[in-house]
Amino acid sequence: MTDLAPAPVGPTPRTGSVAAGRFRALLRSPSGLSGAIIVSLLVLLTFASYFSLLSYDPIAQDPPSRLLAPSFTHLFGTDQFGRDVFSRVAAGVANSALIAVVAVTFATVIGTMGGLIAGFFRGIPDVAIGGVTNVLFAFPPLLLALALVSVFDRNWFTIAVAIAIVYVPIFIRVTRGPVLSLREVEYVKAATSTGASRIAVMMRHVLPNITSIIIIQVTLSLSWAVLTEASLSFLGLGAPPPTPSLGSMIFEARTLVYIAPWTMIAPGVIVVLLVVGLNLLGDGLRDILDPRNKGKR
Amino acid sequence: MLKTFSHNSVVRRIGAAALTLLGVAIFVFIMLRAIPGNQITAGLGTEAAALTPAQKLALEQYYGLDQPLVVQFFSWLGNLFTGNLGFSARAQQSVLDLTVASLPVTFELAIFSIVLALLIGIPLGMLSASKPDSPRDALGQIVGLAGLSIPAFLLATALLSVLASSLGFNPNGQAFASLFGDPLLNLQQMLLPSLVLGFGIAAPIMRTTRTAVLEVRSNDFIRTARAKGVPPRRLQLKHVLGNALVPIVTMTGLQFGYLLGGAVVVEQIFSLPGIGRQVLLGIQQKEYALVQSTVLVIALTFVIVNLLTDLTYRLIDPRVRAS
Amino acid sequence: MSHGSRFTRGAVSALGLAAIVSLAVSGCSSPGTPAPAETAKSGGSLVVGVTSDPDTLFPWKATQFQATHVLQNVYGTLTEFDEGLNVVPGLAESWDASEDGLTVTLKLREGVTFADGSTFGSEDVVSSLTKIQDEATAAVSRSALASVTAIEASDENTVLLTLSAPNAALPAGLAVLTLAMLSSDDTEAALNTAPNGTGAYSFDTRVANQSITLKKNTAYWGDEPTLGSVEFRVIPDESSIVSAMQSGNVQMAIFDDPLVAQTAESGSITIAKTPQLSYHTLQLNATRGDLADVNVRLAISCAVDRQEVLDTAALGEGEVTGPITSPAYKSDTDARPCPERDLKQAAAYLAKAGKADGVTIKTIVSQGEYATSVNEAQNLKAQLAEAKITLDVETLESGAYVDRWVAGDFDAAVALNGGQPDPDGMYGRYFTSTGNLNKVAGYSSPELDALFAEGRAASDPTDRAAIYEKVSAELEDNAAWVWLFTSYSYTATDSAVQGFVPMANGSLQYLRTTTVN
Repeated sequence: MTDLAPAPVGPTPRTGSVAAGRFRALLRSPSGLSGAIIVSLLVLLTFASYFSLLSYDPIAQDPPSRLLAPSFTHLFGTDQFGRDVFSRVAAGVANSALIAVVAVTFATVIGTMGGLIAGFFRGIPDVAIGGVTNVLFAFPPLLLALALVSVFDRNWFTIAVAIAIVYVPIFIRVTRGPVLSLREVEYVKAATSTGASRIAVMMRHVLPNITSIIIIQVTLSLSWAVLTEASLSFLGLGAPPPTPSLGSMIFEARTLVYIAPWTMIAPGVIVVLLVVGLNLLGDGLRDILDPRNKGKR
Repeated sequence: MLKTFSHNSVVRRIGAAALTLLGVAIFVFIMLRAIPGNQITAGLGTEAAALTPAQKLALEQYYGLDQPLVVQFFSWLGNLFTGNLGFSARAQQSVLDLTVASLPVTFELAIFSIVLALLIGIPLGMLSASKPDSPRDALGQIVGLAGLSIPAFLLATALLSVLASSLGFNPNGQAFASLFGDPLLNLQQMLLPSLVLGFGIAAPIMRTTRTAVLEVRSNDFIRTARAKGVPPRRLQLKHVLGNALVPIVTMTGLQFGYLLGGAVVVEQIFSLPGIGRQVLLGIQQKEYALVQSTVLVIALTFVIVNLLTDLTYRLIDPRVRAS
Repeated sequence: MSHGSRFTRGAVSALGLAAIVSLAVSGCSSPGTPAPAETAKSGGSLVVGVTSDPDTLFPWKATQFQATHVLQNVYGTLTEFDEGLNVVPGLAESWDASEDGLTVTLKLREGVTFADGSTFGSEDVVSSLTKIQDEATAAVSRSALASVTAIEASDENTVLLTLSAPNAALPAGLAVLTLAMLSSDDTEAALNTAPNGTGAYSFDTRVANQSITLKKNTAYWGDEPTLGSVEFRVIPDESSIVSAMQSGNVQMAIFDDPLVAQTAESGSITIAKTPQLSYHTLQLNATRGDLADVNVRLAISCAVDRQEVLDTAALGEGEVTGPITSPAYKSDTDARPCPERDLKQAAAYLAKAGKADGVTIKTIVSQGEYATSVNEAQNLKAQLAEAKITLDVETLESGAYVDRWVAGDFDAAVALNGGQPDPDGMYGRYFTSTGNLNKVAGYSSPELDALFAEGRAASDPTDRAAIYEKVSAELEDNAAWVWLFTSYSYTATDSAVQGFVPMANGSLQYLRTTTVN
């Protein structure tokens, strides 16, 4: 139990061989189902925005219709530049999700490989990877992201990279422990002794057995990534305007909250919904993928 | 996963910690220099364009920017060992003095937040676990989920502006009072920020508690105790919670370490002169020595907290005690 | 170094970049209601909410606007601006130029003391001005004294300045904080921790990153300052400043964001809107690529509807402007080549440049330094696209932007630059071939050099106005830059605060007549 990730996260599950195809089981669990529904709705919104199916351009400014209250023409009202808040929220979900997905993808791939190599090969790779992990861990995550974002020209991609760097060590830690114990499992030892290359054994026999842990970690990380991006935006280091992201919309709306509360309520509610959805989905996945939870619910 | 607690492992851990800190030092040093601009342009802005070459040189000498990077690094590192963490030209104070003032603020905030989080999280987690899939479990889960999902800055801004505008309650609008200078005001100023952070941290604590309690309860010795007729309340507190404490302590330690730098947003909103803000300001002003030393102090604290967490759970874990 | 012919303004202007609000100095502030000294209630303490600590307490290097706010109340300058931005006596009671304009006699005020009790005299003036001229001091307003070739004290209260060329802009130039008078006994290191000036308030205490407190200077040479003490309290978040005002903990704050100001305006809090001298502009670098062709620059100028930029980027909070923003010399926006947006004319200019198919211009924009920058760039991009001009917007972190701007390494730059009451101080350093910011301006011409020299030599205000009208026309007809608009600063005060006069330069010098009931 020592290898817990350092940010808000549930306990790391132990290794367990989990078969694929648990989708139905996921939908049977109440949290999984509600999470799936919320996330799919938001994904739908994202697609609508992405393919310009919404009636307004999220960036186009229309000064005459600024700060209109919600109505049928503007579901969530308009902001200080006359931009449609609903379209912006939709685009914001898309951008926040994009940043989160890219960040977590990077972190997952790099972190899992790192954890695999460190745990499976031990020795020098383990020491080297462990050292880097410790260094990154000793940094306060938000400050690390903040400094990294300042290094690069700021755009959605560099923000994603900065968040990814913060989360890489979490994935390394989460995978390394289980890999260490898997390494000692009989069939892995057997596979190694048959003369198969160690890399092949690692990819074929070890990796599949830690996927459930990774999947759970991915959903949890997605929700933190959304929150981290929002926090960076709050410190003025988020995606640059006019690109809407949920965090920057809330940040910009703070000065408007008395005059036009909808400019803050809309992105605020949506960001909470998005994070709740992802967390529920994560819970649902854990329920079905984590062997410890069997029979407890 | 549990290692035996030997003299050797202590030495090894301290060695590893020293290496980690060196890594942090190198990393932060390089990263800072990779951020465009320096202290001259951060201070003067575009007015720096009007400087003559000789003036620029004079300023570079003043800020120590004319030295080669390697010299800058080793003179900073060397100074650390003499207790000289550098000097902030902006604050006209040594970094040590600034840190001595700011670290306790963040520490206090972190402690209050953690205490609040434990007070909310543990009972809620036990309540949830007491009857899985019941309405009370759902209630606990929903509170936990809310804590995980509501961004701290949203909650902080909302609390501050609503209380200030409707009730005129805003202790954080007053000059910051230290705990020993004006305890009453200090506690008021810590109230809202600790609530915000504590609510956020209560969520992982609650979830950890719930899972741990469920796991412990399924263990044989609890069943045995129950069969022996140990009263339920005593069973709950002594046996169940006692054994579930390990993961809770681990989580608490992690969250405490996380708060050292992670409280920066809340410090910013509630005008608390904590260590997170010190780093943020340093990055903005490109005060290299200030940021380097402060980050190192945070990293050191983090490493120590981790070590203490480890020690604590070795002390309380019945399985380790037995061996 | 410049030839000494130019007299540049002091460096108070933060050129927009020193964040949030630029420190322009301008006229046309509505003459508020300065409390007459006899009825002013003595005492009272004021808390001003600020987002940041001063980054330096040394006046000659203070360009950050929070630093200027504090230090202007602590230090004195030879001349000062009144609320209408006229030059009035400060530590110098008079400044008389000789017949040929090459010698200026400064008669110093008598009986002035520094906060530490020492007497102010010609020795301090000579030592201050000499140190400012020394490059090792790295004083930001050094170039303001470029035309001064000798400084000598003829007696205890008289200083003679010898100039290389007549300079009518000198008196206005001396009124800036970065040319403050320091005691000859003081050093930079000492003043960094213990400011010692002749201002209306004197330094009391500082808690780094938290607050800085000034107390009344009872020995002040002017009318007795009204406040017992002024605390500048650091509240990093603007919304939190608003909350602190609503709960009555803070009685005053300066905002640059109209939305924040609007939020604050409630109950007992009132907002005063003050037009600024600083200006939003699209700087064009005429030394680079297609922009070297005046017709391309004119096409850009004609293709931009300034009012639309103002409306979309800044909620219409401001005024469309030409180059010179100070009221006494204000440029006539109707006199520019295309007073209204004229796409046909823009196309004609492009054709004349042989670029009928369009051009691509790259521009740098800083993000985060001031609220409207990126929005301005987006709107300009949209407008220029309709004239076949592609604006490639490169958004930079403030540090990277400043580096590029300082090096003049850009084709175009969306900028918020500080203004000056005197047009020579404002533009001489940009648009004369020897100006120390000419590489950043990217444009100069023999005509402009001659006009600026003429302006410095002329002492009659009417003559000068005529000359700077020509300067304006020269800049606009050649589309040296595309001037867009000026904005406001917003002074929020609690109803208990009386007698404060907000100035167009954001100066808080009228804290000396302010009372808190």
